[in-house]
Amino acid sequence: MAAAPDERGPGPAAGEQLQQQHVGCQVFPERLAQGKPQQGFLSSFFTNNQKCQLMLLQTLETNPYVKLLLDAMKHSGCAVNKERHFSCEDCNGNVSGGFDASVSQIVLCQNNICNQAHMNRVVTHELVHAFDHCRAHVDWFTNVRHLACSEVRAANLSGDCSLLNEIFRLHFGLKRHHQTCVRDRAIRSILAVRNISKEVAQKAVDEVFESCFNDHEPFGRIPHNKTYARYAHRDFQNRDRYYSNI
Amino acid sequence: MAEGGGWQPPRPCEAYRAEWELCSSAGHFLRHYYVHGERPACEQWRRDLDSCREWEERRSAEAQSLRESEQARVRAARKHGLVWAPRQSPPADWHLPLPQDNDR
Repeated sequence: MAAAPDERGPGPAAGEQLQQQHVGCQVFPERLAQGKPQQGFLSSFFTNNQKCQLMLLQTLETNPYVKLLLDAMKHSGCAVNKERHFSCEDCNGNVSGGFDASVSQIVLCQNNICNQAHMNRVVTHELVHAFDHCRAHVDWFTNVRHLACSEVRAANLSGDCSLLNEIFRLHFGLKRHHQTCVRDRAIRSILAVRNISKEVAQKAVDEVFESCFNDHEPFGRIPHNKTYARYAHRDFQNRDRYYSNI
Repeated sequence: MAEGGGWQPPRPCEAYRAEWELCSSAGHFLRHYYVHGERPACEQWRRDLDSCREWEERRSAEAQSLRESEQARVRAARKHGLVWAPRQSPPADWHLPLPQDNDR
């Protein structure tokens, strides 16, 4: 996240930045993909905060990516509480959200998250950071390689770089383009939360990419869409049988 | 784990069928090429499905190849080194109230 409210301390440890330049929610891939009006019913009667809370609840209760991440975090001792671990806030700049490791909280930018599909993806992205924070000693603030690794994983596993999302961003490419997208978005996210040069961010991503791109925990695979995410969740729920029989 | 004495395939046979069908689909071919730049290899899922069904019907010795196949999948998933050290316990502040909540 490029900027944080004044009362939040050192700022987010990891963030997601919108790739295209826009104001509010005027241009976004998921809106075009859904074919739905940009603002719709919710905009007429609810504040940004209320819309954010409603969409967040929908995501937590129904999205298969998020439900797997929540189960995995609970299994690791980090049960997620909506009121404690999520905050809908206005954000400066073109960021969608961030993970504040100093207080173990996910910030959702209520003025920049446009629709349910976008909320699903942002929550998934930030929960990957939270999952990494829960399961490993991630040095968010002083080790750029650690930050780079989590950003590679979040871009890889959240659907950020799906073929459809890239096409709607007018980024055309097919063979191994997913990896190009993951690298680029990881660098952008690092630059959004750390005052370092693009070269330093790129070097960190290059150094960790092989390891972190292939670390698919807790999904066990790259979840290309909800079907893959459901299969991954099925495997996670079956893990006791699996490991006791191999 | 030794054969017999309660052993069963690591996944239900239905799971192997679903994975093989997903892997063999045109959509997966496209997504796999988009990520890896090559066609997916789905033959092992089919072999595992056949082994699973053999075990269900005849408690066949084919089950050993199923275990070996899954062990290979686990090795492949773990072959990359970790960038960070794993935790033995969750972060101490995960469940604590937010700092501003303590001031109320």
